[in-house]
Amino acid sequence: MTADVADRAALGLNGAFVAGLAVSAGLLLVVLALSLLQGVVPLTTADVLAALSDPHAEARASILVWDLRLPRAGLAALAGACLAASGVLLQGALRNDLADPALLGVGAGASLLVALGVMLQPANLAAMPGFALGGGLAVGLIILAAAQVFRDTARIILVGAALAALFSALVVALIVLANAFQLRVVYAFLVGSLIGRDASDFLRLLPWAAVLLPATLFFVRGLDALRLGEEMAAGLGVNVFRFRLLLMLAAIGLVAPVVATCGPIGFIALVAPHLARAILRGTDAARVLPLAMLIGATLLATADLLAREALSPAELPVGLVVTALGAPAAILLLRRHLAGHTA
Amino acid sequence: MSVRLLWPGLTALLLATAAAQLAIGTVAIPLAEMPDHIILHAVRLPRLIVVVLSGAMLGLAGALLQTVTRNPLAEPGLMGVSAGAVLAIVAMIIAASRAEGLGVVRETGWHLGLAGVAGGMAAGALTYALSRHQGTSRPILLVLMGVLVAGSASALTSVLLLTADESQLRLVLHWTIGSTNGRGWVHVEMLLPYAAAGLAMGLLSAGVANALQLGAGVAAGLGLRVEHARLLLIFAAAVLTAGAVSVVGGIGFVGLIGPHLARMLVGNDARRLFPAAAVVAALLLTLADLGARTFPLGWIEAWTRSPVPAPTGLPVGVITPLLGVPFFLWLVFARRERA
Repeated sequence: MTADVADRAALGLNGAFVAGLAVSAGLLLVVLALSLLQGVVPLTTADVLAALSDPHAEARASILVWDLRLPRAGLAALAGACLAASGVLLQGALRNDLADPALLGVGAGASLLVALGVMLQPANLAAMPGFALGGGLAVGLIILAAAQVFRDTARIILVGAALAALFSALVVALIVLANAFQLRVVYAFLVGSLIGRDASDFLRLLPWAAVLLPATLFFVRGLDALRLGEEMAAGLGVNVFRFRLLLMLAAIGLVAPVVATCGPIGFIALVAPHLARAILRGTDAARVLPLAMLIGATLLATADLLAREALSPAELPVGLVVTALGAPAAILLLRRHLAGHTA
Repeated sequence: MSVRLLWPGLTALLLATAAAQLAIGTVAIPLAEMPDHIILHAVRLPRLIVVVLSGAMLGLAGALLQTVTRNPLAEPGLMGVSAGAVLAIVAMIIAASRAEGLGVVRETGWHLGLAGVAGGMAAGALTYALSRHQGTSRPILLVLMGVLVAGSASALTSVLLLTADESQLRLVLHWTIGSTNGRGWVHVEMLLPYAAAGLAMGLLSAGVANALQLGAGVAAGLGLRVEHARLLLIFAAAVLTAGAVSVVGGIGFVGLIGPHLARMLVGNDARRLFPAAAVVAALLLTLADLGARTFPLGWIEAWTRSPVPAPTGLPVGVITPLLGVPFFLWLVFARRERA
């Protein structure tokens, strides 16, 4: 390839990258604005703007915006970005574009420990991300071990599916043993929900996201190298095993606090990176990662808006909306990939 | 085990486990009083019948599905058949309570099974159709599509349950994962028509199943109408699964392990495999139920420092994945499947 063609190819990708970022950022803003305006009590644009400019006003609009709608919409967007980033990292670590923390059982493992935590220490909400991290890590290490032993990536996903079945069964066991007070809380860890989440939940997720989301950008060169193959990556100076472990840890560090605040939410981590790669028509991690994060944020914020408004005044758990939209998308992706690979 | 000793051996095992089921329980009953003790007649005997019948039904359903899909990983739970049946039955229960203006979830009645057959068949057929690629069902695709179909069906079930209160939620969750707690004679009556029809259909179709095992081409050459035969077997599996699900809920993995163990014992001939799968699965579920009943819940109470609420007892659906998942992993890894 001549330098000229390479330049133009880079430019083309750049164009798609910038356009993709702009479009999804625009969509995200629209969704966030709608999240502030819509609700059981509709607000006018003037109300929202007035409330936003003066957080300490005692007006009803100010309370609705600052205490309820903004934290929840922000949590949805942040959680979506974390899930999407974890999807990119997991897919890179396992060299499998079908990897998804929910399909692999990482979400179920985290849910199990959070549900246990709710039963053992109901008051200690701050410890929940830690519990989730423990459960997610346990599953993640099993998956990583399976990935070391078995080259066949479809089988690794089967291991994950089996672990997910096992841990989900154990979560239900906990629910059955829970008293009525704990039941509702634990039930949220079966479907994933943002109902009633407020600023404290947002603040619990924020430090993890603030540290780990930018940190993922340090992985981009390694991700690109690993995509070329393990030998190639080793040749390029990547310590493959250590790097995979690091990717896995970071991915689980991103998923676990999301599970702890919102419950297990599937499919975003699978679909957002795919959309990003499709828009970019490439796999350049430095571009896929930020675009996937923005797309994930938009997807989850949109899903939560739908969950709030579809049956208003009743609310759906957002996990159900994500499943309803994500499962058909996942079926399409899986069929396209596996049909080719497992002949 | 030699073939001659196989059936007496299996029967003896099943009888011994059944006797243990009847003898062991929260209330100790002296052996002399056992024959006409009220607890035995009203509680333990009907539960034992429910467990044995539904185990046999799930085992035979698994064997049928493995044969028709020619796929070693086929199973009612993994294929979404159970989740589809659960969805249809929950919808039916809610519609019925609405129509009668009742807030209470009613969980008995044989008509629930009919809804389950429709839902289970639809979900199973969808999974099977999605797992087909270039004319064959891929084991890995079947499981993954089953996970997605079952997940979607469960999500819809959860939507239906949004308005349920705590006690209803507990009841339905108990039943979603599969439980035999508190099953009595009314449940035996619910189960019997499906057990009779499904077991008869399944066992009688062994000849057809043998032809199908040879492959679609050979089966057609033998004069079999392949698509009709497949539909018949899937229908029988759906009747068996839905009948069991409508009473004991979505107990997983029994339909996977039972047929595999049976295949190791008697081989692939469906005329021997089908009854053996039913007996082995019945034995497994009875053992699992014994485990669930004798599980030390007091230990969990002490650990979580909160009392375990009624209805007490661990659901058996929690025990079966503990056995089933390691077995499934072994199937996936240790045995080279013909993909």
